[in-house]
Amino acid sequence: MARRKTERLVNLTILLLSSRRFVSREQIRATVEGYRGSSEEAFQRMFERDKDELRALGVPIETGSNDPLFSDEQGYRISRTDFELPPIEFTPDEATVLGLASTVWQQASMAEDTTHALAKLRAAGIEPDAGRLTALAPRLSAREEAFEPLWQAVVDRQVVQFGYRTADEVRTVEPWRLAWRNNSWYLVGHDRDRRAPRVFKLARMTGVPSTVGEPDAFDRPDEELISRHTTVLTSRVADLTALLAIRGARAPALRRRGAPAQAARPLPAGFHAYRVPFTSGYAAGEIASFGADVVVLEPETLRAEVVSHLRGVLRAHAPDRPEPQRNPA
Amino acid sequence: MNTATTQVARLLAMVPYLQARPGVPIAEVAEVFGVTKRQVLADLNVLWMCGLPGGLPDDLIEIDMDAAEGEGIVHLGNADYLSRPLRFTRDEAVSLVVALQAVSEMASGRLREAAESAASKLALVTGHHDPVLLAVDTGDEELREQLLSAIEAGRRVRLTYDGATRGETTTPVVDPAAIQMRDSAAYLQAWSVSRQAWRTYRLDRIAELAMTGETIEDHGQPPQLPEGWFDASDGAVTLLLTQSAAWVADYYPMLAIDERQDGHLMVRMAFSDPAWLESLLLRLGDQASVLDPFGAGASAARAAEEALALTALICGGLPD
Repeated sequence: MARRKTERLVNLTILLLSSRRFVSREQIRATVEGYRGSSEEAFQRMFERDKDELRALGVPIETGSNDPLFSDEQGYRISRTDFELPPIEFTPDEATVLGLASTVWQQASMAEDTTHALAKLRAAGIEPDAGRLTALAPRLSAREEAFEPLWQAVVDRQVVQFGYRTADEVRTVEPWRLAWRNNSWYLVGHDRDRRAPRVFKLARMTGVPSTVGEPDAFDRPDEELISRHTTVLTSRVADLTALLAIRGARAPALRRRGAPAQAARPLPAGFHAYRVPFTSGYAAGEIASFGADVVVLEPETLRAEVVSHLRGVLRAHAPDRPEPQRNPA
Repeated sequence: MNTATTQVARLLAMVPYLQARPGVPIAEVAEVFGVTKRQVLADLNVLWMCGLPGGLPDDLIEIDMDAAEGEGIVHLGNADYLSRPLRFTRDEAVSLVVALQAVSEMASGRLREAAESAASKLALVTGHHDPVLLAVDTGDEELREQLLSAIEAGRRVRLTYDGATRGETTTPVVDPAAIQMRDSAAYLQAWSVSRQAWRTYRLDRIAELAMTGETIEDHGQPPQLPEGWFDASDGAVTLLLTQSAAWVADYYPMLAIDERQDGHLMVRMAFSDPAWLESLLLRLGDQASVLDPFGAGASAARAAEEALALTALICGGLPD
C-alpha cells in the first residue's frame, strides 16, 4: 500500500515538474498510474490528500489556468525554479565543517533533519567530509521533554502554552528563541499575559507545551533585543572592587579576574592580596563560597556582609556548634 | 510524516544523487540517507516503476537492478527532469544552520570562518535563519586554535590548569587528542603524562598552553565522554531552598523539584564532587538547608567556621 502510494506521489511530481503548462485534473487522472481506473470520488479524495502531503514536503504545487479567458479551467504544475535547490557552492573548508555539522545533533528528530539536508547537498554535487576533523566533536542534546515541541514552535513561529513552575501557572508565549546556557535550555519569548519579554527554563515547565493558533503568527524582534534578554542569564555588571587575601593558588577564578595588590596589614604565610571586581548583592555569596581560602580585607562593609553570611551557613548546617572565639589573643 | 511521504522525500533526493554518481555502492547510499541497505533496494524497486507519463519502457527511470542486487552498486539514468534536489524544508535548514553554529563556537581560525560562511550561504539559499542562541564555554579562541594545531601536529603540551571551584592551579604535561563538547562546555581530552591515563580538561579553565618541544606518543583513541552531566555524578542531595535561593533550581540541572505551600522549594540534585556541594552551600548562606543525606552540610559548616576564625585572625576580630 505504502509502496503504491510512494509511486503515485513520485509520478505525480514528475508529471507536474516536466510540464510547462498547467495540467488539468482530468489529464492527471488519465495519466498517473495510481489514479487511473479509480472512481471519481476516490480520485478526488486521493488527489487532494496527495497534493497536501507533497506540499508538506516542500514541493511547490501551483494552481492556475493556461488560458486567461477561460480561468475556470484550473490546472496544476510545479515551477522548476521553486522546486530545485538553487545553485550553491562550498569551499573545501566549508564542505568539511558541513560534514562535521551532520554529527552535532544527538536529538533524534534534528539529527534526521540534518541527515536529510546533507543528503540534499550531496544530491546537488557537494561532498561534505568531516574525515580530517577527528580532533573536534561538538554535540548538541536536550534532555528536556519540552525541547522538541518548543523547537518546532520557534521554527514555525507558533504561539505556545505551558505550565510553569507549578501545575496551575499557565503561560502563553510567542517563542522567539531557545538558548543553551549553564547546562540547561531556556526559552526566550514574549509572554502574552505579562505583555513583556521573559526567559523560561525548559526544565521548570510542567508537562509538554502545546501550540495555540496558526504558524507564522507573530514577528520576532530583531536579534539585538533577543540577545539582550538572553545575556541577562549570564552576565552581571561589576560595580564594586574588593581587596582580598587569597590562599596560594586557590580560587583561580577570582585571581584571574583581579590583579595582585598590596595589603595594609600582615597576612598569614601563603596568602597574597588581590583587588577583584564584584557585583554588589552577589559578592558576599561568591566570596563565602571559597570558605577559608578567601578573606575580605576591604571594604569593611563587605567584610561584615561575608561574616554574617558565613554565620548563616553555621546556623543552617551546624546549629549546635558554638561560634568560634571572637577575639583571638 | 508517514512512511510513504518520508520515502517520497528520500527518493526525490536519491534520484539526482544517484545520477551524479554512476556505480556508487549501495552501502554508501544507505549511509548518506540514513537507512538500511535493504531499504535502499526497496527504494530502487519503487523508482524503477516511476517516470514520465506514457507507460512506455522508454519513459521510465532506468535502473540496473541486477547490478544493485548482485554486485551492490547502483546505476540510474533516464531521469534528467530530476537532476537537482528539492529545496530545504524549514526544519532541515534550521537544524543544519544551528549545527554549523555549534561547530563555529568550537572551531577557530579558518574553520570557524568556514562554518560561519557556510551557515550564511545556507541561510541565503533557504531563507531560514537559526532560532537557537548558543552559548558554549569554550575558553579563549587563540588557545583553542593552538590546541587544535598541537593535536594536528602531534605536539606534547604543558597546560596551566585551574582546578574545579576550590581547586588549585596545576601544570600537567599532556598529549592532546580531541576537543569535545558536552552540556554547553568544551573539553580537551588528553593523555596525562604524569598520571599515565586519559584526563578531561575544561577549555575555559585552561589558562595557558606551552609547547614542550616533544612529540606525542600513541595512546590509541581517547574514551567516549559520558553523554550527560548526570552520568558523571556519584552523589545526590536534597535541599530546602528559600525563595531567594530559588535561582539554584533554574541554574543547575535538577533530578526533582517540589514547590511547597510556603513557597520554599524542595530540590534533589546530583553532584560528582563533594567540594562542589560544600562551595554551593557556602554560597547560599542560611537560604538553604540539607534534608538528605543527614550531615551533608557538615563540611560547609566547618569551612564557614574556619573562614570566620581566619577573618578574625587577619582583621583582629569580627563585627557583631
